[in-house]
Amino acid sequence: MILKIKNKDKKSDNKYIALGLDKKKYEFLFKADNTVAVNKKKSDIRIEEDDDGFTYVVWESRRVPVELVEKNQNRYEVLVNGISYKFSIESPISYKRKKFLDKTQIQSKTESIIAPMPGKIIDVLVEPNTHVSQGEAILILEAMKMQNEILSTVTGKIKSINIRKDDNVMKDDVLIEIEK
Amino acid sequence: MEKKIIKKLLIANRGEIAIRIIETAKKLGIETYVIKTAKEPSALYLKHADVICDFTQNTNELPEFLDVELIIKTAKEHKVDAIHPGYGFLAENPYFAQCCDDEGIIFIGPSADAIYKMGNKTIAKQLAIKHKVPLLEGSSGNVPSPKEALKIAEKIGYPVIIKAASGGGGRGMRIVEDASQVEKMFHLASNEAAKAFDDSSVFIEKYVRNPRHIEFQILGDKHGNIIHLGERECSIQRKHQKLIEESPSVALSEELRKIMGEQAINIAKSVKYCSVGTVEFLLDDDMNFYFMEMNTRIQVEHPVTETITGIDLIEQQIKMAQGDKLSIKQEDVQLNGWAIEYRINAEDVQANFSPFLGTIQHISFPKGKNVRVDTGVEDGSVITPYYDSMVAKLIVSGETREKAIANSLVAINKVKIKGVKTTIPFCKAVIENKDFQLGNLNTSFIDKKMDGIFNEDPDEKLMAAFFATMDYIKDEQMDEAAYVDFEKGRNITPWLIKRRIK
Repeated sequence: MILKIKNKDKKSDNKYIALGLDKKKYEFLFKADNTVAVNKKKSDIRIEEDDDGFTYVVWESRRVPVELVEKNQNRYEVLVNGISYKFSIESPISYKRKKFLDKTQIQSKTESIIAPMPGKIIDVLVEPNTHVSQGEAILILEAMKMQNEILSTVTGKIKSINIRKDDNVMKDDVLIEIEK
Repeated sequence: MEKKIIKKLLIANRGEIAIRIIETAKKLGIETYVIKTAKEPSALYLKHADVICDFTQNTNELPEFLDVELIIKTAKEHKVDAIHPGYGFLAENPYFAQCCDDEGIIFIGPSADAIYKMGNKTIAKQLAIKHKVPLLEGSSGNVPSPKEALKIAEKIGYPVIIKAASGGGGRGMRIVEDASQVEKMFHLASNEAAKAFDDSSVFIEKYVRNPRHIEFQILGDKHGNIIHLGERECSIQRKHQKLIEESPSVALSEELRKIMGEQAINIAKSVKYCSVGTVEFLLDDDMNFYFMEMNTRIQVEHPVTETITGIDLIEQQIKMAQGDKLSIKQEDVQLNGWAIEYRINAEDVQANFSPFLGTIQHISFPKGKNVRVDTGVEDGSVITPYYDSMVAKLIVSGETREKAIANSLVAINKVKIKGVKTTIPFCKAVIENKDFQLGNLNTSFIDKKMDGIFNEDPDEKLMAAFFATMDYIKDEQMDEAAYVDFEKGRNITPWLIKRRIK
């Protein structure tokens, strides 16, 4: 399956922006004459598939296997050579709106400590309303028969503890919330 | 010495090591028996064996590969001559080795006595002292309480390490930097030890900062002959789990190799060792070495030794077990070239190596004279939570270390895996690391010498962005056409299913 981009409006160009989690921006301009410009530079970039079912992106003498991990509306996670990258795909208008919203938004004051892997809570080392420093062990999670200390990522006050000793937790569960 | 030729062999293991054992057994004309479990009923190793023993109806709570009674019963039913335990599971269980012996079944490994003595760290240390093998200063025997631990730690000086007496594989180990941590670390190590090994006893020893991990491959027969097959360096570790191993080591001169090799043989001799085994040492910056432990089994990393010595270790292990006399002399052992093993595990390096379960949609490996791949998976194989996360071992060789590293980069770029995340990005980051290339290795390599455990490639990120954008446009066009093909439009990947199940 080779994807062909049909221009919505033959007379005009279509621009899309892929915005990385680190706010790095990748601009793809699909021109009316069927050429593509990557970050304002005309490029030969395309998608290929082979008989084994691997999909590749080919660009500037490189050909790398790509895999779609997840998509949710305009948010994408794509795996390239074992490393996944997250993007949101924006039109020039939605990109401007997003930038504006980011500027006006107030930064969250609560830091969530999430389970890095599925496992069992062996011990909770902190109590609500106590002070913790960045790097301090706050609980012990057992996974794959290893006991792992989970460290606080910030300095602050324990706002809530959502788990108890001996609880089983899933990956990405919010274990403890800390007020910065 | 009574000699019995092995004709039927039961393999009490799974995955790549079962396949590895079958490969040599076939070469020797031995019929192979494997165990099929309900947890992995279509595993690749089953397809390689001659006979499958069906354990899928087994309702015991005990995991199949740990069930001594059931395995012995099965061995007797099928009248096998020998049992190969592989690594892990029952490989270093003296009770199992003794049961085999009592039933007249050959256990492919050393004697139960040797397993017991080397498995108990305290006895192993006493044997090392008796045979004048250098050791790290530490507690004489197990430490009963944090209070006692503090006393010993103060005496030998910080940092110290608290280790499980029955430990292994990095479990039940904690490093203590100062007096304030003693109590906490004592409990952590002891709890973990109780959980993992059913034995909470721990001991303390001096901790060497940033040592190299050097181990010697030992080979002994039942006639008192013991030789070594050179060393392996396994300094690239994470939480004491080996990730990359190589042979030989850049750190060893011919002279040091000779001295350490002799000491390794002395340890093996102290228990009349008669199989393949590994003596592990720590080597510090001043080239002082300290005996750590002896592993009385075939090791995961045995292929690097096989590659540079040309000796089939499984073949030797089987022959030694049936009472053959060692046909290789120490002076015959030559180390040719360099071999490096990369463990490709189903782990998410972007989430600090957390295990990644799922289905391997597609997998393919490079071929070539410098590349060996030992794997237990194929397209459609499932990485389950029941067993370790190993997908494959990639062993790359070359005439020199430089050439082996250059070949490694070519080889690892040709490994393609779809469906699960693996440690390949980590392996690549190591291969590209200057210190690794120069051979500046130690067990803190990952923490101290690497900027990150994987390298993001800006070009690859751009290409990923393009792929995401194209997919988004495709969806947009479909929406416009007011036509939703649920089969094609909703791309249900295994990744998505996995998240939904969670």
